[in-house]
Amino acid sequence: MHRSLRSIAIMLVTLSVAAACGGAGTSGPAATGTAGASAATKPKFELSTFQYAIQTKGKLRVGTREDNVPFGLKNPATSKFEGFDIDIARELAKGIFGPQTNIDDVIEWTPVVSATRIPTLQDNKADIVIATFTINDARKKEIDFSSVYFKTGQKVLVKKSDSSITKVEDLVSKTVCSAKGSTSETNLRAKGVTKLLLLDSYPPCLLALQNGQADAISTDETILFGLVKQDPNTKIVGGYFSEEPYGIGFKKDRVGFQAWIDAELKKIIDDGRWAKIYKQWITPVSGDEKKNPEGK
Amino acid sequence: MPGGIIFEFPDLYLFPSGLWLTIQLSVISLLGSVVIGTFVAIARISPLAPLRWIGTGFVEFFRNTPLLVQLFFLFFAAPLIGIRFSDDAFEFNFRAALLGLSLYHAAYVAEIVRGGLLGVDKGQLEAARSLGLSYPQMLRFIQLPQSFRAIIPPLGNIAIALVKNTSLATTIGVAELLNAGDIVESRTFRTVEAYGAVALLYLVLTLPMGAGVNWLERRLAVAR
Repeated sequence: MHRSLRSIAIMLVTLSVAAACGGAGTSGPAATGTAGASAATKPKFELSTFQYAIQTKGKLRVGTREDNVPFGLKNPATSKFEGFDIDIARELAKGIFGPQTNIDDVIEWTPVVSATRIPTLQDNKADIVIATFTINDARKKEIDFSSVYFKTGQKVLVKKSDSSITKVEDLVSKTVCSAKGSTSETNLRAKGVTKLLLLDSYPPCLLALQNGQADAISTDETILFGLVKQDPNTKIVGGYFSEEPYGIGFKKDRVGFQAWIDAELKKIIDDGRWAKIYKQWITPVSGDEKKNPEGK
Repeated sequence: MPGGIIFEFPDLYLFPSGLWLTIQLSVISLLGSVVIGTFVAIARISPLAPLRWIGTGFVEFFRNTPLLVQLFFLFFAAPLIGIRFSDDAFEFNFRAALLGLSLYHAAYVAEIVRGGLLGVDKGQLEAARSLGLSYPQMLRFIQLPQSFRAIIPPLGNIAIALVKNTSLATTIGVAELLNAGDIVESRTFRTVEAYGAVALLYLVLTLPMGAGVNWLERRLAVAR
Protein backbone atom coordinates (compact mmCIF):
# COMPACT_ATOMS: atom_id res chain seq x y z
CA MET A 1 0.00 0.00 0.00
CA HIS A 2 2.76 2.41 0.91
CA ARG A 3 4.57 1.60 -2.24
CA SER A 4 1.60 2.21 -4.45
CA LEU A 5 1.01 5.54 -2.72
CA ARG A 6 4.61 6.40 -3.34
CA SER A 7 4.44 5.55 -7.00
CA ILE A 8 1.30 7.64 -7.36
CA ALA A 9 3.08 10.46 -5.55
CA ILE A 10 6.02 10.20 -7.93
CA MET A 11 3.63 10.29 -10.84
CA LEU A 12 1.91 13.40 -9.49
CA VAL A 13 5.17 15.21 -8.79
CA THR A 14 6.45 14.36 -12.23
CA LEU A 15 3.22 15.59 -13.73
CA SER A 16 3.28 18.91 -11.97
CA VAL A 17 6.95 19.47 -12.80
CA ALA A 18 6.21 18.74 -16.41
CA ALA A 19 3.29 21.16 -16.34
CA ALA A 20 5.39 23.88 -14.71
CA CYS A 21 8.02 23.58 -17.39
CA GLY A 22 5.46 24.37 -20.00
CA GLY A 23 4.62 20.75 -20.48
CA ALA A 24 6.62 18.01 -22.03
CA GLY A 25 3.46 17.48 -23.93
CA THR A 26 1.75 14.31 -24.82
CA SER A 27 3.68 11.93 -26.93
CA GLY A 28 1.17 10.10 -28.99
CA PRO A 29 -0.57 6.89 -28.06
CA ALA A 30 0.49 4.95 -25.04
CA ALA A 31 2.08 2.22 -27.07
CA THR A 32 5.02 4.02 -28.59
CA GLY A 33 7.16 0.99 -27.87
CA THR A 34 10.61 0.08 -29.02
CA ALA A 35 10.03 0.18 -32.74
CA GLY A 36 9.75 3.95 -32.93
CA ALA A 37 12.47 4.70 -30.40
CA SER A 38 15.90 5.57 -31.65
CA ALA A 39 18.85 3.74 -30.16
CA ALA A 40 19.58 6.20 -27.38
CA THR A 41 16.11 7.34 -26.36
CA LYS A 42 13.61 5.69 -24.13
CA PRO A 43 10.10 5.13 -25.37
CA LYS A 44 7.81 8.05 -24.50
CA PHE A 45 4.59 7.50 -22.61
CA GLU A 46 1.61 9.51 -21.50
CA LEU A 47 2.52 10.96 -18.13
CA SER A 48 -0.54 9.55 -16.41
CA THR A 49 0.22 5.95 -17.35
CA PHE A 50 1.59 3.19 -15.18
CA GLN A 51 4.32 2.36 -17.70
CA TYR A 52 5.51 5.97 -17.38
CA ALA A 53 5.65 5.53 -13.61
CA ILE A 54 7.74 2.38 -14.00
CA GLN A 55 10.06 4.10 -16.48
CA THR A 56 10.53 7.01 -14.08
CA LYS A 57 11.14 4.68 -11.17
CA GLY A 58 13.79 2.88 -13.23
CA LYS A 59 12.82 -0.65 -12.19
CA LEU A 60 10.29 -3.17 -13.43
CA ARG A 61 9.40 -5.59 -10.65
CA VAL A 62 8.52 -8.97 -12.12
CA GLY A 63 6.94 -11.78 -10.13
CA THR A 64 7.86 -15.17 -11.54
CA ARG A 65 8.42 -18.79 -10.56
CA GLU A 66 11.79 -20.16 -9.63
CA ASP A 67 11.10 -23.84 -10.26
CA ASN A 68 8.89 -24.19 -13.28
CA VAL A 69 10.83 -25.57 -16.23
CA PRO A 70 10.70 -24.44 -18.99
CA PHE A 71 8.82 -21.25 -18.10
CA GLY A 72 10.54 -19.77 -15.09
CA LEU A 73 13.60 -21.17 -13.38
CA LYS A 74 16.24 -19.69 -11.14
CA ASN A 75 19.28 -21.51 -12.42
CA PRO A 76 20.94 -22.95 -9.30
CA ALA A 77 24.38 -22.76 -10.91
CA THR A 78 24.26 -19.13 -11.99
CA SER A 79 21.46 -17.73 -9.75
CA LYS A 80 20.04 -16.19 -12.92
CA PHE A 81 16.42 -16.42 -13.93
CA GLU A 82 15.76 -18.14 -17.22
CA GLY A 83 12.88 -19.57 -19.21
CA PHE A 84 10.03 -18.67 -21.53
CA ASP A 85 8.27 -16.36 -19.08
CA ILE A 86 11.55 -14.71 -18.16
CA ASP A 87 12.43 -13.85 -21.75
CA ILE A 88 8.97 -12.44 -22.40
CA ALA A 89 9.41 -10.25 -19.30
CA ARG A 90 12.78 -9.07 -20.61
CA GLU A 91 11.22 -8.06 -23.94
CA LEU A 92 8.51 -6.16 -22.07
CA ALA A 93 11.15 -4.37 -20.02
CA LYS A 94 12.84 -3.33 -23.25
CA GLY A 95 9.50 -1.88 -24.30
CA ILE A 96 9.59 0.36 -21.24
CA PHE A 97 13.24 1.23 -20.88
CA GLY A 98 14.38 1.03 -24.50
CA PRO A 99 16.35 -1.65 -26.30
CA GLN A 100 19.78 -0.34 -25.35
CA THR A 101 19.42 -0.79 -21.63
CA ASN A 102 21.30 -3.63 -20.05
CA ILE A 103 17.98 -5.24 -19.43
CA ASP A 104 18.64 -7.29 -16.29
CA ASP A 105 19.74 -4.12 -14.48
CA VAL A 106 16.25 -2.67 -14.67
CA ILE A 107 14.36 -5.82 -13.68
CA GLU A 108 13.80 -6.81 -10.09
CA TRP A 109 12.76 -10.48 -9.94
CA THR A 110 10.30 -11.46 -7.22
CA PRO A 111 9.80 -15.20 -6.71
CA VAL A 112 6.19 -16.39 -6.53
CA VAL A 113 4.38 -19.71 -6.21
CA SER A 114 0.88 -20.48 -7.48
CA ALA A 115 -0.87 -19.37 -4.34
CA THR A 116 1.08 -16.11 -3.91
CA ARG A 117 0.61 -14.75 -7.41
CA ILE A 118 -2.49 -12.71 -6.69
CA PRO A 119 -1.43 -11.47 -3.22
CA THR A 120 1.96 -10.39 -4.64
CA LEU A 121 0.15 -8.05 -7.02
CA GLN A 122 -2.47 -6.88 -4.56
CA ASP A 123 0.17 -6.05 -1.96
CA ASN A 124 2.15 -4.22 -4.67
CA LYS A 125 5.23 -6.38 -4.25
CA ALA A 126 5.54 -6.69 -8.02
CA ASP A 127 4.42 -4.61 -11.02
CA ILE A 128 3.63 -7.63 -13.16
CA VAL A 129 3.39 -11.38 -12.55
CA ILE A 130 4.36 -13.66 -15.40
CA ALA A 131 4.20 -17.22 -14.13
CA THR A 132 2.14 -19.68 -16.23
CA PHE A 133 -0.83 -17.72 -14.95
CA THR A 134 -4.08 -19.05 -16.45
CA ILE A 135 -6.56 -16.27 -17.17
CA ASN A 136 -9.97 -17.01 -15.68
CA ASP A 137 -13.01 -15.13 -14.46
CA ALA A 138 -12.46 -15.78 -10.76
CA ARG A 139 -8.96 -14.34 -10.98
CA LYS A 140 -10.12 -11.43 -13.13
CA LYS A 141 -12.23 -10.28 -10.19
CA GLU A 142 -9.04 -9.85 -8.16
CA ILE A 143 -6.54 -8.57 -10.73
CA ASP A 144 -6.20 -7.59 -14.42
CA PHE A 145 -4.62 -9.71 -17.14
CA SER A 146 -2.84 -8.90 -20.39
CA SER A 147 -3.90 -10.58 -23.60
CA VAL A 148 -2.90 -14.23 -24.04
CA TYR A 149 0.85 -14.69 -24.53
CA PHE A 150 0.87 -18.48 -24.33
CA LYS A 151 -1.79 -21.03 -24.92
CA THR A 152 -1.88 -24.57 -23.76
CA GLY A 153 -4.66 -26.90 -22.80
CA GLN A 154 -5.40 -29.89 -20.73
CA LYS A 155 -4.60 -33.32 -22.10
CA VAL A 156 -4.37 -36.85 -20.79
CA LEU A 157 -1.29 -38.92 -20.03
CA VAL A 158 -1.50 -42.72 -19.84
CA LYS A 159 0.84 -45.68 -19.88
CA LYS A 160 2.07 -46.53 -23.35
CA SER A 161 0.60 -50.02 -23.03
CA ASP A 162 -2.89 -48.66 -22.25
CA SER A 163 -5.24 -48.65 -25.23
CA SER A 164 -8.46 -48.24 -23.25
CA ILE A 165 -8.05 -44.47 -22.91
CA THR A 166 -7.81 -42.40 -26.06
CA LYS A 167 -9.79 -39.30 -25.12
CA VAL A 168 -11.05 -37.45 -22.07
CA GLU A 169 -14.49 -39.12 -22.29
CA ASP A 170 -12.80 -42.46 -21.55
CA LEU A 171 -11.75 -41.13 -18.13
CA VAL A 172 -15.23 -41.13 -16.59
CA SER A 173 -14.92 -44.58 -15.01
CA LYS A 174 -11.15 -44.32 -14.42
CA THR A 175 -8.98 -43.10 -11.57
CA VAL A 176 -7.30 -39.89 -12.65
CA CYS A 177 -4.46 -38.14 -10.85
CA SER A 178 -4.06 -34.38 -10.79
CA ALA A 179 -2.73 -31.64 -8.54
CA LYS A 180 -4.90 -30.69 -5.61
CA GLY A 181 -6.75 -27.42 -6.15
CA SER A 182 -5.56 -26.85 -9.71
CA THR A 183 -7.68 -25.66 -12.63
CA SER A 184 -6.99 -29.13 -14.05
CA GLU A 185 -8.91 -30.70 -11.17
CA THR A 186 -11.90 -28.42 -11.75
CA ASN A 187 -11.89 -29.19 -15.48
CA LEU A 188 -11.85 -32.94 -14.82
CA ARG A 189 -14.84 -32.70 -12.49
CA ALA A 190 -16.67 -30.74 -15.18
CA LYS A 191 -15.98 -33.65 -17.55
CA GLY A 192 -17.69 -36.05 -15.17
CA VAL A 193 -14.56 -37.58 -13.67
CA THR A 194 -15.33 -38.55 -10.07
CA LYS A 195 -12.43 -40.80 -9.11
CA LEU A 196 -9.87 -38.06 -8.70
CA LEU A 197 -6.65 -38.84 -6.91
CA LEU A 198 -5.40 -35.43 -5.80
CA LEU A 199 -1.75 -35.13 -4.83
CA ASP A 200 0.48 -32.13 -4.21
CA SER A 201 2.17 -32.02 -7.59
CA TYR A 202 2.74 -34.01 -10.75
CA PRO A 203 5.85 -36.10 -10.02
CA PRO A 204 3.87 -38.02 -7.30
CA CYS A 205 1.08 -38.48 -9.86
CA LEU A 206 3.60 -40.07 -12.21
CA LEU A 207 4.53 -42.54 -9.45
CA ALA A 208 0.86 -43.34 -8.87
CA LEU A 209 0.46 -43.96 -12.61
CA GLN A 210 3.50 -46.23 -12.67
CA ASN A 211 2.21 -48.11 -9.61
CA GLY A 212 -1.18 -48.62 -11.24
CA GLN A 213 -2.97 -46.63 -8.53
CA ALA A 214 -4.02 -44.11 -11.16
CA ASP A 215 -5.08 -44.95 -14.71
CA ALA A 216 -4.22 -41.54 -16.08
CA ILE A 217 -2.81 -38.11 -15.28
CA SER A 218 -4.42 -35.01 -16.65
CA THR A 219 -3.16 -31.44 -16.66
CA ASP A 220 -1.70 -28.76 -18.95
CA GLU A 221 0.06 -30.28 -21.91
CA THR A 222 3.30 -28.41 -21.18
CA ILE A 223 3.53 -30.16 -17.80
CA LEU A 224 2.75 -33.53 -19.40
CA PHE A 225 5.64 -33.01 -21.82
CA GLY A 226 7.95 -32.92 -18.84
CA LEU A 227 6.46 -36.15 -17.43
CA VAL A 228 6.83 -38.01 -20.74
CA LYS A 229 10.46 -36.97 -20.70
CA GLN A 230 10.85 -38.48 -17.23
CA ASP A 231 9.06 -41.70 -18.13
CA PRO A 232 9.17 -42.68 -21.81
CA ASN A 233 6.73 -45.52 -21.09
CA THR A 234 3.93 -42.97 -21.03
CA LYS A 235 2.11 -41.20 -23.83
CA ILE A 236 -0.16 -38.17 -24.26
CA VAL A 237 -3.56 -38.97 -25.77
CA GLY A 238 -6.57 -37.05 -27.08
CA GLY A 239 -6.97 -33.39 -27.92
CA TYR A 240 -7.21 -30.34 -25.72
CA PHE A 241 -10.34 -30.43 -23.59
CA SER A 242 -9.71 -27.16 -21.85
CA GLU A 243 -8.02 -23.97 -22.82
CA GLU A 244 -5.35 -22.67 -20.52
CA PRO A 245 -4.54 -19.22 -21.81
CA TYR A 246 -1.65 -17.72 -19.91
CA GLY A 247 -1.67 -13.99 -19.32
CA ILE A 248 0.47 -11.47 -17.51
CA GLY A 249 -1.14 -10.31 -14.30
CA PHE A 250 -1.09 -6.82 -12.88
CA LYS A 251 -2.94 -4.87 -10.24
CA LYS A 252 -6.31 -3.39 -11.14
CA ASP A 253 -6.60 0.27 -12.15
CA ARG A 254 -3.13 0.66 -13.65
CA VAL A 255 -3.82 3.58 -15.97
CA GLY A 256 -3.13 2.84 -19.63
CA PHE A 257 -1.18 -0.30 -18.83
CA GLN A 258 -3.58 -2.83 -20.32
CA ALA A 259 -3.51 -1.17 -23.77
CA TRP A 260 0.24 -0.79 -23.66
CA ILE A 261 1.07 -4.34 -22.60
CA ASP A 262 -1.33 -5.85 -25.15
CA ALA A 263 0.20 -3.75 -27.93
CA GLU A 264 3.69 -4.63 -26.77
CA LEU A 265 2.89 -8.37 -26.69
CA LYS A 266 1.46 -8.09 -30.21
CA LYS A 267 4.72 -6.52 -31.35
CA ILE A 268 6.78 -9.24 -29.67
CA ILE A 269 4.68 -11.86 -31.47
CA ASP A 270 4.51 -10.08 -34.84
CA ASP A 271 8.21 -9.37 -35.22
CA GLY A 272 9.25 -12.96 -34.54
CA ARG A 273 10.73 -12.51 -31.07
CA TRP A 274 7.99 -14.71 -29.60
CA ALA A 275 8.78 -17.55 -32.05
CA LYS A 276 12.45 -17.32 -31.16
CA ILE A 277 11.72 -17.57 -27.44
CA TYR A 278 9.33 -20.46 -28.07
CA LYS A 279 11.97 -22.29 -30.06
CA GLN A 280 14.55 -21.80 -27.33
CA TRP A 281 12.46 -22.96 -24.37
CA ILE A 282 9.38 -24.92 -25.50
CA THR A 283 10.55 -26.74 -28.62
CA PRO A 284 13.06 -28.92 -26.71
CA VAL A 285 10.17 -30.44 -24.69
CA SER A 286 7.32 -30.28 -27.19
CA GLY A 287 9.19 -30.97 -30.43
CA ASP A 288 7.06 -28.46 -32.33
CA GLU A 289 7.55 -24.88 -33.41
CA LYS A 290 5.02 -22.09 -33.23
CA LYS A 291 4.91 -18.57 -34.57
CA ASN A 292 2.32 -17.26 -32.10
CA PRO A 293 0.24 -18.42 -29.13
CA GLU A 294 -2.49 -19.70 -31.47
CA GLY A 295 0.04 -21.94 -33.17
CA LYS A 296 -0.88 -20.69 -36.63
CA MET B 1 -10.09 -9.64 2.00
CA PRO B 2 -12.97 -7.70 3.46
CA GLY B 3 -16.53 -8.67 2.70
CA GLY B 4 -17.19 -12.25 1.74
CA ILE B 5 -17.65 -14.95 4.29
CA ILE B 6 -16.96 -18.56 3.65
CA PHE B 7 -20.60 -19.64 3.68
CA GLU B 8 -21.11 -18.25 0.19
CA PHE B 9 -19.24 -21.03 -1.47
CA PRO B 10 -20.60 -24.16 -3.10
CA ASP B 11 -17.61 -26.29 -2.12
CA LEU B 12 -18.60 -26.38 1.53
CA TYR B 13 -19.86 -29.95 1.18
CA LEU B 14 -16.19 -30.88 1.14
CA PHE B 15 -15.83 -30.03 4.82
CA PRO B 16 -18.36 -32.54 6.26
CA SER B 17 -17.10 -35.33 4.01
CA GLY B 18 -13.50 -34.45 4.91
CA LEU B 19 -14.37 -34.35 8.59
CA TRP B 20 -16.05 -37.76 8.32
CA LEU B 21 -12.93 -39.30 6.73
CA THR B 22 -10.76 -37.71 9.42
CA ILE B 23 -12.98 -39.26 12.11
CA GLN B 24 -12.83 -42.67 10.41
CA LEU B 25 -9.06 -42.47 10.09
CA SER B 26 -8.73 -41.41 13.73
CA VAL B 27 -10.99 -44.05 15.28
CA ILE B 28 -9.77 -47.03 13.28
CA SER B 29 -6.08 -46.08 13.57
CA LEU B 30 -6.46 -45.51 17.31
CA LEU B 31 -7.96 -48.97 17.78
CA GLY B 32 -5.26 -50.43 15.55
CA SER B 33 -2.44 -48.68 17.38
CA VAL B 34 -3.76 -49.76 20.82
CA VAL B 35 -4.02 -53.41 19.75
CA ILE B 36 -0.64 -53.47 18.00
CA GLY B 37 0.98 -51.35 20.72
CA THR B 38 -0.24 -53.68 23.49
CA PHE B 39 1.18 -56.74 21.77
CA VAL B 40 4.49 -54.95 21.15
CA ALA B 41 4.62 -53.90 24.81
CA ILE B 42 4.04 -57.48 25.93
CA ALA B 43 6.81 -58.58 23.55
CA ARG B 44 9.14 -55.95 24.99
CA ILE B 45 8.81 -57.27 28.55
CA SER B 46 8.66 -60.91 27.49
CA PRO B 47 11.02 -63.38 29.18
CA LEU B 48 11.96 -64.56 25.67
CA ALA B 49 14.90 -62.54 24.32
CA PRO B 50 14.01 -62.79 20.58
CA LEU B 51 10.54 -61.40 21.30
CA ARG B 52 12.10 -58.52 23.21
CA TRP B 53 14.40 -57.78 20.29
CA ILE B 54 11.52 -57.73 17.82
CA GLY B 55 9.50 -55.46 20.10
CA THR B 56 12.40 -53.07 20.60
CA GLY B 57 13.14 -53.04 16.86
CA PHE B 58 9.50 -52.19 16.11
CA VAL B 59 9.37 -49.32 18.57
CA GLU B 60 12.69 -47.82 17.55
CA PHE B 61 11.92 -48.07 13.84
CA PHE B 62 8.44 -46.56 13.87
CA ARG B 63 9.16 -43.96 16.53
CA ASN B 64 12.32 -42.71 14.88
CA THR B 65 11.21 -42.31 11.28
CA PRO B 66 8.88 -39.51 10.20
CA LEU B 67 5.24 -40.50 9.77
CA LEU B 68 5.22 -38.66 6.44
CA VAL B 69 8.02 -40.90 5.16
CA GLN B 70 6.13 -43.99 6.35
CA LEU B 71 3.01 -42.86 4.49
CA PHE B 72 4.98 -42.14 1.31
CA PHE B 73 6.59 -45.55 1.61
CA LEU B 74 3.29 -47.36 2.05
CA PHE B 75 1.63 -45.51 -0.81
CA PHE B 76 4.37 -44.96 -3.37
CA ALA B 77 7.05 -47.55 -2.61
CA ALA B 78 5.14 -50.57 -1.30
CA PRO B 79 3.54 -51.35 -4.69
CA LEU B 80 7.02 -51.45 -6.26
CA ILE B 81 7.97 -54.32 -3.95
CA GLY B 82 4.73 -56.13 -4.59
CA ILE B 83 2.63 -54.96 -1.64
CA ARG B 84 -0.79 -53.81 -2.80
CA PHE B 85 -3.50 -52.88 -0.33
CA SER B 86 -6.18 -52.66 -2.99
CA ASP B 87 -6.72 -52.31 -6.72
CA ASP B 88 -8.75 -49.20 -6.11
CA ALA B 89 -6.66 -46.07 -5.54
CA PHE B 90 -8.96 -44.68 -2.86
CA GLU B 91 -9.10 -47.90 -0.87
CA PHE B 92 -5.37 -48.12 -1.39
CA ASN B 93 -4.50 -44.72 0.02
CA PHE B 94 -7.06 -44.99 2.82
CA ARG B 95 -5.68 -48.35 3.92
CA ALA B 96 -2.10 -47.13 3.55
CA ALA B 97 -2.99 -44.17 5.79
CA LEU B 98 -4.69 -46.44 8.34
CA LEU B 99 -1.70 -48.77 8.45
CA GLY B 100 0.85 -45.95 8.62
CA LEU B 101 -1.02 -44.11 11.38
CA SER B 102 -1.59 -47.35 13.34
CA LEU B 103 2.03 -48.51 13.17
CA TYR B 104 3.52 -45.10 13.97
CA HIS B 105 1.31 -44.48 16.99
CA ALA B 106 1.56 -48.12 18.07
CA ALA B 107 5.23 -47.44 18.83
CA TYR B 108 4.21 -44.71 21.30
CA VAL B 109 1.34 -46.78 22.70
CA ALA B 110 3.77 -49.67 23.24
CA GLU B 111 6.05 -47.53 25.37
CA ILE B 112 3.13 -46.30 27.47
CA VAL B 113 1.72 -49.78 27.96
CA ARG B 114 5.15 -51.16 28.78
CA GLY B 115 5.57 -48.47 31.43
CA GLY B 116 2.14 -49.34 32.81
CA LEU B 117 2.89 -53.06 32.92
CA LEU B 118 6.24 -52.53 34.64
CA GLY B 119 4.54 -50.22 37.13
CA VAL B 120 2.35 -52.98 38.53
CA ASP B 121 3.54 -53.98 41.99
CA LYS B 122 5.93 -56.92 41.91
CA GLY B 123 4.17 -58.54 44.86
CA GLN B 124 1.03 -58.86 42.76
CA LEU B 125 2.92 -60.79 40.10
CA GLU B 126 4.66 -63.03 42.61
CA ALA B 127 1.33 -63.73 44.26
CA ALA B 128 -0.19 -64.61 40.89
CA ARG B 129 2.59 -67.02 40.01
CA SER B 130 2.55 -68.62 43.47
CA LEU B 131 -1.20 -69.20 43.05
CA GLY B 132 -0.35 -71.26 39.99
CA LEU B 133 -1.29 -68.78 37.19
CA SER B 134 0.68 -69.25 33.99
CA TYR B 135 2.60 -66.29 32.55
CA PRO B 136 -0.13 -65.50 29.95
CA GLN B 137 -2.83 -65.84 32.65
CA MET B 138 -0.91 -63.52 34.93
CA LEU B 139 -0.60 -60.94 32.12
CA ARG B 140 -4.25 -61.20 31.18
CA PHE B 141 -5.83 -61.21 34.63
CA ILE B 142 -3.40 -59.38 36.90
CA GLN B 143 -0.87 -57.22 35.09
CA LEU B 144 -2.88 -55.69 32.21
CA PRO B 145 -6.00 -54.75 34.23
CA GLN B 146 -3.92 -53.14 36.96
CA SER B 147 -1.88 -51.12 34.47
CA PHE B 148 -4.95 -49.45 32.93
CA ARG B 149 -5.07 -46.64 35.44
CA ALA B 150 -1.56 -45.56 34.55
CA ILE B 151 -2.08 -46.06 30.83
CA ILE B 152 -5.34 -44.24 30.11
CA PRO B 153 -4.33 -40.55 30.53
CA PRO B 154 -1.15 -40.69 28.39
CA LEU B 155 -3.08 -42.76 25.87
CA GLY B 156 -5.50 -39.84 25.58
CA ASN B 157 -2.61 -37.58 24.60
CA ILE B 158 -1.55 -40.06 21.92
CA ALA B 159 -5.14 -40.08 20.64
CA ILE B 160 -5.11 -36.29 20.30
CA ALA B 161 -1.77 -36.38 18.48
CA LEU B 162 -3.17 -39.07 16.21
CA VAL B 163 -6.19 -36.97 15.22
CA LYS B 164 -3.89 -34.11 14.26
CA ASN B 165 -1.50 -36.42 12.41
CA THR B 166 -4.30 -37.73 10.19
CA SER B 167 -3.85 -34.46 8.29
CA LEU B 168 -0.66 -35.91 6.77
CA ALA B 169 -2.84 -38.35 4.81
CA THR B 170 -3.69 -35.47 2.47
CA THR B 171 -0.24 -35.94 0.91
CA ILE B 172 -1.20 -39.37 -0.39
CA GLY B 173 -4.51 -38.10 -1.69
CA VAL B 174 -6.90 -39.07 1.11
CA ALA B 175 -9.76 -36.56 0.94
CA GLU B 176 -9.72 -35.80 4.66
CA LEU B 177 -10.25 -32.47 6.40
CA LEU B 178 -7.06 -30.63 5.42
CA ASN B 179 -7.47 -31.85 1.85
CA ALA B 180 -10.95 -30.29 1.81
CA GLY B 181 -9.46 -27.04 3.11
CA ASP B 182 -6.80 -27.03 0.38
CA ILE B 183 -9.40 -27.46 -2.32
CA VAL B 184 -11.74 -24.80 -0.96
CA GLU B 185 -8.82 -22.38 -0.60
CA SER B 186 -7.63 -22.85 -4.15
CA ARG B 187 -11.11 -22.35 -5.58
CA THR B 188 -12.17 -19.36 -3.53
CA PHE B 189 -8.89 -17.57 -2.70
CA ARG B 190 -10.31 -17.25 0.83
CA THR B 191 -7.16 -18.48 2.51
CA VAL B 192 -7.94 -17.18 5.97
CA GLU B 193 -11.47 -18.57 6.02
CA ALA B 194 -10.56 -21.95 4.49
CA TYR B 195 -7.70 -22.83 6.82
CA GLY B 196 -9.45 -21.11 9.71
CA ALA B 197 -12.40 -23.46 9.21
CA VAL B 198 -10.06 -26.46 9.04
CA ALA B 199 -8.35 -25.46 12.29
CA LEU B 200 -11.70 -24.96 14.01
CA LEU B 201 -12.96 -28.37 12.89
CA TYR B 202 -9.80 -30.04 14.24
CA LEU B 203 -10.41 -28.21 17.51
CA VAL B 204 -13.99 -29.50 17.58
CA LEU B 205 -12.49 -33.00 17.54
CA THR B 206 -9.52 -32.53 19.84
CA LEU B 207 -10.77 -30.11 22.53
CA PRO B 208 -13.38 -32.53 23.91
CA MET B 209 -10.73 -35.25 23.87
CA GLY B 210 -8.41 -33.03 25.87
CA ALA B 211 -11.20 -32.29 28.36
CA GLY B 212 -11.89 -36.03 28.56
CA VAL B 213 -8.25 -36.79 29.30
CA ASN B 214 -8.18 -34.19 32.08
CA TRP B 215 -11.41 -35.56 33.56
CA LEU B 216 -10.05 -39.12 33.48
CA GLU B 217 -6.80 -38.00 35.07
CA ARG B 218 -8.65 -36.36 37.95
CA ARG B 219 -11.01 -39.29 38.38
CA LEU B 220 -8.26 -41.89 38.33
CA ALA B 221 -6.19 -39.82 40.75
CA VAL B 222 -9.11 -39.76 43.19
CA ALA B 223 -9.67 -43.48 42.83
CA ARG B 224 -6.04 -44.03 43.67
